Amino acid sequence: MTGSHRSDERWSELLAAAQAGDADAYRAFLTAAAPFVRALVGRRVASEDAVEDVVQDVLLTVHRIRHTYEPGRPVEPWLAAITARRAIDALRRRSRLQARELHHPIAYETFADPTANERETVVEADALGRLIETLPPGQKQALELMKLKQMSLAEASAASGQSVSSLKVNVHRAIKRLRLAIRKDGDA
Amino acid sequence: MTAQSTDRLIDVLSATAAPVRPLRSPMRRALMTLALLAALGVGAILLLPGSNPLATRGARGQARAGMELAAMLATGVLAVIAAFHLSIPGRSRHWLALPLLPFAAWLILSGVGCYRDFIRNNSAEPELGQSADCLIFILGASLLFGAPLLWRLSRAAPIDPLPVAALGGLGAAALAALLLKFFHPLTVTFLDLAVHLLGLAIVIGLTALLRRRILRSA
Repeated sequence: MTGSHRSDERWSELLAAAQAGDADAYRAFLTAAAPFVRALVGRRVASEDAVEDVVQDVLLTVHRIRHTYEPGRPVEPWLAAITARRAIDALRRRSRLQARELHHPIAYETFADPTANERETVVEADALGRLIETLPPGQKQALELMKLKQMSLAEASAASGQSVSSLKVNVHRAIKRLRLAIRKDGDA
Repeated sequence: MTAQSTDRLIDVLSATAAPVRPLRSPMRRALMTLALLAALGVGAILLLPGSNPLATRGARGQARAGMELAAMLATGVLAVIAAFHLSIPGRSRHWLALPLLPFAAWLILSGVGCYRDFIRNNSAEPELGQSADCLIFILGASLLFGAPLLWRLSRAAPIDPLPVAALGGLGAAALAALLLKFFHPLTVTFLDLAVHLLGLAIVIGLTALLRRRILRSA
């Protein structure tokens, strides 16, 4: 019996126990599976930060569809398919963003001295609050959790039930929508 | 993000995980769904006006027509089975090919039937009005079969919903076209065939387009 076969049998037992509600078995499964997932993602995604981002997305997907694992069947193909799909999604998202957006680290600052913007910030806080209220619920929730409460993607995902990719898309769309609304207000 | 935040995520997920009931095997779920679709089909034949039991018809070229019906049935059944398998992560992509052979046989046998009909009645004018009724029937029956089928497929929240949606659409549309045969002459013209294929394309296109929403993709 090979080591890989033994570990798959062990994973199969842990995941079946997790489906039945055993929290310790679930923690042991996710902890054991994370390095396997990280290695698979590392083959497709170059940046270390992005790798961990995809690993967390995979774990959240595993959590959401853990009922699709059929006890007794090998776990590795199931987990590898989820990992491959999430890595592909991440690469597609990244290439879409790179095609449309340009990163400029100081583009959001009007003046070099941050205190120079304070008065304007206080005056516009109310208006911004009103605009945030008009956002669709998913976008509003994503923006509040990640930008106002400063949660990480993983924490925001666990708190909201939205996947990591949905959160990213929702924050991106919310900011775009706010930017458009602010520009319209400025023109009016 | 760091490995530490991944560890925190594992803590949160394992602490909040409720028990879940594993899905039954894809084959079993497919067969149960097909039984439900068969009951719906029989119900439609018994309840809708204008049905014409196949056994009472004495159409020419009955052997070819019988094979065509068998190919339609096989296309629908195998597409549904393949969709259930592909809705589960890690299943072989070869399942995609399962309904292709009967689908090709269906198209070829229909084409031969149309050609023979054309040779026999080449002066006959095609009736557009009747074909429009056929299109509406196929779309309506696809909804009848597709709604429960896609609902059951959505239980798996497929991570790659496109092949699942396309196969589900093909299965529903093929079974709808089969149901149409109970209300339609066995012989079909080229116009009929084109309308049937248009109905098929609309159903597959719509399910593919709305796949994430319909299948609650993870």
